[in-house]
Amino acid sequence: MVSDPQIRDVTYIGIGELCVSTTPLSSIGLGSCIGLVLHDNNRRRGGLAHIMLPNSNGRMDRPGKYADTAICALMEELSFNRRKNGVIIAKIVGGASMFTQFSESISIGEKNIEKIRTLLKEYSIPISGEDVGGKVGRTMTYYPTNGGKIIIKRGDGSIGEI
Amino acid sequence: MNLTSEQMDALQELGNIGAAHAATTLSTMLNTSIEMNVPEISVIDLSRIHEYISDEIAAMVLFRIDGELSPGGYLLLHVPVESAIRLVNVMLGEHDMNRAMNEMDRSALLEIGNIMVSAFLDATAGLLNTVMIPSPPDLVIDMPHAALQVIITSQLEENGNNVVLFRTELKSSEYALASNLLLLPNPPVLKDMIHKLERLLSNTSQR
Repeated sequence: MVSDPQIRDVTYIGIGELCVSTTPLSSIGLGSCIGLVLHDNNRRRGGLAHIMLPNSNGRMDRPGKYADTAICALMEELSFNRRKNGVIIAKIVGGASMFTQFSESISIGEKNIEKIRTLLKEYSIPISGEDVGGKVGRTMTYYPTNGGKIIIKRGDGSIGEI
Repeated sequence: MNLTSEQMDALQELGNIGAAHAATTLSTMLNTSIEMNVPEISVIDLSRIHEYISDEIAAMVLFRIDGELSPGGYLLLHVPVESAIRLVNVMLGEHDMNRAMNEMDRSALLEIGNIMVSAFLDATAGLLNTVMIPSPPDLVIDMPHAALQVIITSQLEENGNNVVLFRTELKSSEYALASNLLLLPNPPVLKDMIHKLERLLSNTSQR
């Protein structure tokens, strides 16, 4: 069950991790988790966080794990100064409900999406692309130097781009 | 959660017995021999789960463990799509490999999963002197990492960053079938299981 041979120059961001880079970043098999990209097109770089839960409730140990701490940490790592540096855009992928049978797992994806939308609004970061919700898993790869393009492979076999 | 090597051994033995019973039922259904490897127990950090579980699309039959230890966790039969079609072909005496999964495949897989998982749970529950019953199954054909992520998120303890994953591989070389049984116990149930196993082992050594 181990993953395909890893593509060259791609950094894999596991659950609860985040990274800012100029080289491609990827998260595989997003289910209820969200891959949040904050992209700085002027400087051709950006960050990806693999967010698991909406609220940190004050926990700081893994900023990438929670929506609130992840956005904060990504902005900090991008060391973004609005007046000097122009615009940052956001893209979000994931937040699916995979099972129909087990009710406890159904709403996690929705809650993650909702929380991230609210936070992005508070930070006044526009969402320029999204592929969220539904019932499919998603693998995403983000290309910072290619206009912030994201290629998405879905669990139903389809492929998309945002 | 951290486990001592004795606890790992005990869990491995428990899994071994459960998986052997599941393998026997599969062997009976297909009328062929099934090879089973030694079960692996891994304590995995959340951020490394993708190194253990891929995004390669597979059929997964998922059960919640109900009964005395409810909610006990999840048990999952993972079959790569090609193996799944071959498995159903063998069972139904079909030969067409170049087809998408259809309704018949789905219900056959649900049934196979049901029989195997019931055998697994009966055997382990018997050993632990408790009752474990599989919930009605759910079948998903998707990325295993995505499906497991949903389960792991729902059972994660506050401040928890580790997952205990039990996995054993069941194969048939005659029909080139591969499958995995995965067990994800809820953390309190895992502690309870370990406690019961330790008592069982100390009773045995006293005799």
